[in-house]
Amino acid sequence: MIASIPSASVLGVRGSPVTVEVHVGDGLPGYRMVGMPDTACRESRDRVRAAVISSELKWPARAITVNLAPTSQRKSGAGLDLAIAIGVLVASEQLAPADVAGQAFFGELGLDGSLRRVPGVAPMVAALGAFDVVVPLANASEARVAALGRPRVATSLGDVVQALVGERPWDEFPAADPDDEMAPELPDLRDVRGQPVARQALEIAAAGGHHLLLVGSPGSGKTMLAQRLAGLLPPLGRADSLETTMVHSAAGLRLPPGGFFRNAPFRAPHHTTSVVAMVGGGSHQLRPGEVSLATNGVMFMDELGEFARAALEGLREPLEEGVVRVARAAARATMPARFLLVAATNPCPCGGGPPGSCQCDDVARARYLRRLSGPLADRFDLRVVVQRPAVDQLLGAEAGECSAVVRNRVMAARTLAAGRRGKLNAALTPDELDVFAPLAGDARSVLRNEIERERLTGRGYHRIRRVARTIADLEAAGAVASVTDDSTVTLAHVELALSMRASLRGRAASDSRWIA
Amino acid sequence: MAGDERVGALAALAGFDLMTVNRLRVLLAHHQPEEAFAVAAGRRPPHPAVEPMLRGEVRRAWVTSAGRRDPPDWARRCALLGVGAVTAADADFPGVLRNDPQPPAVLFWRGQWATLDTRRVGIVGTRNATSLGCAFAAALGRDLATEGVTVVSGLAKGIDGAAHRGVLSTDRARAVGVVANGLDAPYPRMHGELWHAVGADGLLLSEWPPGTQPEKFRFPLRNRIIAALSELLVVVESRERGGSLTTAREALERGVEVMAVPGSINNRAASGTNQLIRDGATPVTEVADIMLALGLDHRHLQGSRFDPRPLPRGVEAGVLDRCRADPCTLDSIVADLGLSVTEAAMTLARLERSGWLRESGGWFEEVASW
Repeated sequence: MIASIPSASVLGVRGSPVTVEVHVGDGLPGYRMVGMPDTACRESRDRVRAAVISSELKWPARAITVNLAPTSQRKSGAGLDLAIAIGVLVASEQLAPADVAGQAFFGELGLDGSLRRVPGVAPMVAALGAFDVVVPLANASEARVAALGRPRVATSLGDVVQALVGERPWDEFPAADPDDEMAPELPDLRDVRGQPVARQALEIAAAGGHHLLLVGSPGSGKTMLAQRLAGLLPPLGRADSLETTMVHSAAGLRLPPGGFFRNAPFRAPHHTTSVVAMVGGGSHQLRPGEVSLATNGVMFMDELGEFARAALEGLREPLEEGVVRVARAAARATMPARFLLVAATNPCPCGGGPPGSCQCDDVARARYLRRLSGPLADRFDLRVVVQRPAVDQLLGAEAGECSAVVRNRVMAARTLAAGRRGKLNAALTPDELDVFAPLAGDARSVLRNEIERERLTGRGYHRIRRVARTIADLEAAGAVASVTDDSTVTLAHVELALSMRASLRGRAASDSRWIA
Repeated sequence: MAGDERVGALAALAGFDLMTVNRLRVLLAHHQPEEAFAVAAGRRPPHPAVEPMLRGEVRRAWVTSAGRRDPPDWARRCALLGVGAVTAADADFPGVLRNDPQPPAVLFWRGQWATLDTRRVGIVGTRNATSLGCAFAAALGRDLATEGVTVVSGLAKGIDGAAHRGVLSTDRARAVGVVANGLDAPYPRMHGELWHAVGADGLLLSEWPPGTQPEKFRFPLRNRIIAALSELLVVVESRERGGSLTTAREALERGVEVMAVPGSINNRAASGTNQLIRDGATPVTEVADIMLALGLDHRHLQGSRFDPRPLPRGVEAGVLDRCRADPCTLDSIVADLGLSVTEAAMTLARLERSGWLRESGGWFEEVASW
């Protein structure tokens, strides 16, 4: 007899439907699996067999053939275990086809028949929208994110079979823990003492979606500042939340309690991270990389200069297009990669400090600068020097604004920006800037002067205008009554934007090199 | 030509393995250069005073080196580069070095020996100088050259190069550069132009033959020659432990007066000079201090130059004062003066545009008026 059970596997951040066909027929007792399973998938034979027997069901002593369709696509992992087990039970007539009709199954089996968590349930469930889905209890919240109806949960193969034939109800859906509804505590901007410029830069970055580079010697608080950026971003909208959740599920990462990402994710890959881990990939299964995991959130790259050159190069396309396309011989996938990049670096290998305190030799410094000034440097709208705060500021009782206050301004500024073209200021094109960020006369002449002195390139000019637009928006958002005409960018906005483009020091004090 | 052969022999000899300044000095004290080469190569009997040196390892190394370094070949190379060589036996050999406790055995040179005939002041300092330090070194170089004083320095980056640049900005190119590598390749490479300018109108000196790499140990040796050639040594900026302090020590051993430019106590690049002043070095705050120490007329140097920059007022004056004390970042201006970030940024930008400040890596430094 033959059975056909729907299930799915993950490719990139999308689920792709897989039909598990099981045939139990005459012939020598045996088990064959076809349809490009990988090792973990092929080993399902032993798990499924033990699980069936432990669940006090019968393993048919006949010729069993399992086919995973479509056969051209590689299947990996143990997520198809449950579907195979159900298929075997149906094909050996221990379950009626009517009992399983219209249902899709996901889950890894233990030898005792227990159901284990599998990665990527959310995108897989989304790919099988028309079916009722049966998932392990541990995947319940993930499944609910994507399922149209209520997913069915169970803790073991035996329970699944009993529930299918109606001998017992499906497991209770886990009630959301009241504590889970609370967003996890994000680091608050209130903890940062001093650093007025960097604080403002964070606010501008959050409001306009401008990538931010923090330059400063060790111990100046770059990491602490960067970690607070995610807390300044507005809560995720429904679509963004779903997208971020899908990516995290596809990567097999734990979702926040409640299933959905309500807040912007914060990713901080270590500087030894490989290219593949950064942009996504892998030979068997295309997994989302850090750029995708940071989608709709913040990616923080500490010690930017220490990252492998290839990993930095890999960021180009995501930063430019907001998606990353990974292709391997067997498969290709397009994954989202829209994130706010915040990076931290020392000014030079020795850590730098005030003029006259660096002790690097020319070669080391040039190499360091070259790496920084490569493809990435151009992408940072904001480059801010962070200095160790003075003792008085550190010990001073005066706490700064808390994240919530700043976030309100950020949200107001974002609303202003969205009212123009429906996008963040960082994404405005030069043409749009001409319309939406007209410069006041004195501001224009200051920028002209900067360009004539070759301290600003054409691209840098647009960058300054974008940042200045955001600064103006924030100011308008902070004003009690919106009396000011918010359309013009004034000299003050431009000067502030210019001051947040610190040059990286070149070889001699005389030739400071501008990296944009 | 006899002169060429001599230069060739010296260049070949000075580059032998295991050759040291002392060994070369002993060798050249008892043999003419061409003969010294033959002795070192083992082709001629050595002078009895040289003989104990020519044993074992040294002897073997020198014989092999002699096989590799062909004097006529080196003569051609030196002639091509315009490099000459003098020993203590030559008339051109600087008199001050003749009586030095540790004189160089041979000096390779390019340029004009006449540069050494005037009063000579050494200007040295750190390679990682602040822009203010470099500006002051350049001003000293310029004013001393104008007064007809020769400036001796090391052509390194930072203070040394700035002083030389100052000298070359005048029409009297009174610059002596003593370097730690061969005269064939400028080091540091970024100073190539400066190096050639000094080699053309001033005087370039090196203890080492062309082709020698600037290894670390050669710099302290080079420093002693700078000290020995100077009547007065001015240290512009130096770390608490720096090469310029070894130059100062060499100068003191030779009875050369050491002067130092004071700096902020927060400036790391000035910690060495401040230490020198504490130890008794005369402070230098303007070129007249040096002229006075040299016993030259300095009265006409009084009075300041015209400064075309608009005088800062109000907030600008406060911000400039703060940056004068020490280099500042935007953050420190905001914190110390209680300004808003925008106001501070605008003030700094105005001061930078009018030429009072210079920004580098986010730090604002005063631009000196000298």
